[in-house]
Amino acid sequence: MEIGPIWRALMRNKTGAILIALQIAVTMAIMVNAISIMQERGRLMARPSGVDEQNIFSISSVGFAEQFNERAAIKEDLTALRALPGVVNAIQSNSIPLSGGGWSMGLQTEPGEDVDGPSVAVYFVDEHGIDTFGLNLLAGDNFNPTDITWRDIGDTGWSDKIIITQSTAEALYPDDPDGALGKTVYISGDLPMTITGIIEQMQAPWNGWEGVENVILVPNHTLFGATHYIVRTEPGRRDELMPQVEELLAASNQDRIVRSMRSMEEIRERSYKADSAMISILTFTIILLVTVTSLGIVGLASFSVNRRTRQIGTRRALGASKVAILRYFMTENLLISLLGVVTGAALTVGLNILMIETFSLTRIAWYLVPAAMLILLVVGQVAVLGPARKASSVPPAVATRTV
Amino acid sequence: MLSMQNISKVYRAGQVETHALREFSLDVAEGEFVSVTGPSGSGKTTFLNIAGLLESFTSGRYELDNRDVFALSDAELSAVRNEKIGFIFQSFNLIPDLNLFDNVDVPLRYRGFKSAERKRRIEKVLETVGLASRMKHLPSQLSGGQQQRVAIARALAGEPRFLLADEPTGNLDSHMAMSVMELLADINGNGTTIIMVTHDPVLAEMASRNVHILDGRVSDNGLEHPVGKLAAV
Amino acid sequence: MFTYYLKLGWLSIRRNPLLSTLMVAAIAIGIGACMTIITVNYVMSSNPIPQKSDQLFYVQVDSWDPVERDGEGFEAPDQMTYLDAMALMKADKAYRQVASNRSGLVLEPENDEERPFSVDTRNTWADFFPMFDLKFIYGSGWDDSADRNLERVVVLSKEINERVFGGENSVGRSVRMNGMDFQVTGVLDEFIPVPKFYDVTNDPFGETEEVYIPFNVAVEYEFPRYGNTSCWKSPDGDGFDAFLNSECVWIQFWAELRNENEKQDYMAFLNAYAEQQKELGRFPRPLNNQLSDVMEWMENQEVVADDAQVMLGLSLLFLAVCLLNTIGLLLAKFLGKAGDISLRRALGATRSTLFAQHMIESAMIGLGGGILGLGLTWLGLRGVEMLFGEMVENLVGLDWVMVMTAIGLAIASALIAGLYPTWRACRILPASQLKVN
Repeated sequence: MEIGPIWRALMRNKTGAILIALQIAVTMAIMVNAISIMQERGRLMARPSGVDEQNIFSISSVGFAEQFNERAAIKEDLTALRALPGVVNAIQSNSIPLSGGGWSMGLQTEPGEDVDGPSVAVYFVDEHGIDTFGLNLLAGDNFNPTDITWRDIGDTGWSDKIIITQSTAEALYPDDPDGALGKTVYISGDLPMTITGIIEQMQAPWNGWEGVENVILVPNHTLFGATHYIVRTEPGRRDELMPQVEELLAASNQDRIVRSMRSMEEIRERSYKADSAMISILTFTIILLVTVTSLGIVGLASFSVNRRTRQIGTRRALGASKVAILRYFMTENLLISLLGVVTGAALTVGLNILMIETFSLTRIAWYLVPAAMLILLVVGQVAVLGPARKASSVPPAVATRTV
Repeated sequence: MLSMQNISKVYRAGQVETHALREFSLDVAEGEFVSVTGPSGSGKTTFLNIAGLLESFTSGRYELDNRDVFALSDAELSAVRNEKIGFIFQSFNLIPDLNLFDNVDVPLRYRGFKSAERKRRIEKVLETVGLASRMKHLPSQLSGGQQQRVAIARALAGEPRFLLADEPTGNLDSHMAMSVMELLADINGNGTTIIMVTHDPVLAEMASRNVHILDGRVSDNGLEHPVGKLAAV
Repeated sequence: MFTYYLKLGWLSIRRNPLLSTLMVAAIAIGIGACMTIITVNYVMSSNPIPQKSDQLFYVQVDSWDPVERDGEGFEAPDQMTYLDAMALMKADKAYRQVASNRSGLVLEPENDEERPFSVDTRNTWADFFPMFDLKFIYGSGWDDSADRNLERVVVLSKEINERVFGGENSVGRSVRMNGMDFQVTGVLDEFIPVPKFYDVTNDPFGETEEVYIPFNVAVEYEFPRYGNTSCWKSPDGDGFDAFLNSECVWIQFWAELRNENEKQDYMAFLNAYAEQQKELGRFPRPLNNQLSDVMEWMENQEVVADDAQVMLGLSLLFLAVCLLNTIGLLLAKFLGKAGDISLRRALGATRSTLFAQHMIESAMIGLGGGILGLGLTWLGLRGVEMLFGEMVENLVGLDWVMVMTAIGLAIASALIAGLYPTWRACRILPASQLKVN
């Protein structure tokens, strides 16, 4: 086609073209890296917590009166909660996945003060824990009612049985995770515990934690002053049961207050608030950025059409069709955009390397680069359409006019 | 007043050289009204641009007011144009966004006059060209002849010694052209030196001397005619 | 001449409304995006107590684990054990010193109809109030003697005083919390340091506490700990006393040291203390005690989140795109005025006057972009507030420093963007455009 003459004409008036190309290049670098960050956050948020998220909620109870008997209250509360129609099961626990507050300990496969081992999140549960959370027991057995003991706030002893996640098994026995069942591990240096069950998966209370699926279940009721109840309802009945449960607990014992009732969905939302906000901000940024860049293309193309009105008229007078003029400007934009996206690809990778080094972000997926190149080429063509149509409507008579 | 000796001007575009002026020599004395004629492409405009310090030349010597202009810096050239030279263009070149007052004001601003002095001069020159009553009008509200009068007022406001006109009547009908010529004659009568480029032999005759340019050279400097008054008006 | 240039600039802007609008919009969007993020970063990293931030020092003594676990390296723990905090309080070697931690109690209003509610509390010492320059509406903090004698006294926040006492002067009255009566000694004025520097371990941008009680009272009655507790080995035995005597850290310790001498003396004292503890079999690691002033401590604790910095980088690049855009449009505009410029040159304008004229025109576009950009920044901050909710409540205010920064940044950006187009405009030759076509 006529690429040769268009290119040469472009090169005689480089600055405008270079500016647009650069703008497209930087836009692409920001866009691809922003999308890559969004993908990363999306992957984080998509990780399952391991519990039955739709049907679980938690509520806290804090005793304050001197006569408050925490142990009796917990027993009564659990009996009442489990008897409530629509409730599948309920437990007392120290925490719930993604809530942000919890307990972590070091586990080791050999006893001793100076032995290293993985950190694990600890959930204290009773024999209803697996059912209430909706966990999947892969091997071994659930706790027996007789395993459950009461743990006071200053207690340092540990149960002799635990249930661990698969991921914990892998962290403890990287060479033989499947053989973890029945083995003995040590906590607090030298206190032995036997692995009596393995569950498929469950997350720790902290979503950004390194070993987020390193979790153990310990058969304890806790007497920590403030306690959390986890309630699992029949599918679809959670919202109806939440106010009922709150009223039930508030009314049953005046020596404590109930607070912080939250569905698992809300807990997840709060936990990932910063991530979802980041995704929204980046999305908005990309839209704004592409808009600014297209406006720039429109502005410069309009200017270039105005400046060349006479030249366009002359071309028309010499027999160029409207389509030929349209094509001229579209092709010119395509050349500039191509220059932009090729430079952009290099910039994108450069920026990504910088971000990986500075903020330990992940590498961009390879397909994002060609995809962004294609998108920006299309955006450029759409943006230049208006000015190009204006150019094509310049009448040939312009050529003979003096001013 | 103006003395050009062996001025050459070569435009280079790639491999091609165009000689716009070749060994061009011309002297203009104080108070003259010189018309410059010549066919299209003969170098009239190049001569005018060089004379008005709008363009540099390739070789030769040009003295304006006994001063060699070759060595002047860009800023000094600007100052000379501003103080000594007035320009009148075929297409008037008024600034469309500015009203008459502000258009005439443009060179005075660069001259650094105080506002009272500028006002006095602007009112005076607009009076001279007969447009004092339309000071607040925009150029687009005036006829072509009136616009050229504004341009002349702008050229005169700085009280230049030297007026350069490039086809000043080229865009005007004959009636308006005549009135502009009368105005120029009056200005010349007050002692201002004028060089006017034209292709109209009738107008050229109205000057005190006619210089003819052909192929970048002076083919007739008009000096066999006695230096005298403007012919018929 | 300046006003003349302003007038010319305004005429030129008006002459090309579409191009001018595009330029102002491009700068405004760039400034809006940038300033939104800069403001969040600025507030996150702002100095919460500028009048004495260089005299307040966070104290770290390294009592931690001799075994390096999870590849974390040997850093002094970010909080202090009860043993060490009490020893340092008792030694009283600094001008002022305060050990404190976060807690929570249940408050029972006098009015029986209102249900008991939970309050965030800070367990602290008498020096806390003068040390951190807290202002009181009524009364004052408690005396040193209250700390020693385990007096049940309390300082209330303005909000809690309003909730419980309807905003009246409640000094001398009593508040019932966790079944005990506490006597009010003072009511604080609004106190929202951003970041909440005195306890960045537990949510640096969270709310300040509602109630302040003596640390020793909280220990005596074994009130719960709401903040972070970390242990590198388990307490020797069960119960609260064993916990107090353990190597668990849960206390923030601040010292006020008025000059370099006091700081050096205090450091020497800490090192001597650590050596003495080593002899007792504690402090198994090499000597590594730290004194960090407020801003050093904020930096050490990485109070400004990575996300905020990533966004800052991206927003600066965004501004660069907007600048490239403006350069292109200004170039188009100025070269479009070639006739005007060459005429002015013919009429005697020097390059420098034309330079000034066009830079001023660029600055005017920048000013327009800055003002519009401020509006966009305000919208952007409302957006950030909406997205992050209470996490950023205190982060999204615009102060005059930020307003001036926005305008300054906009004008500077426009001037930078205007440089090249202006240079090109000044190079237009006087004769080039005067002939018809």
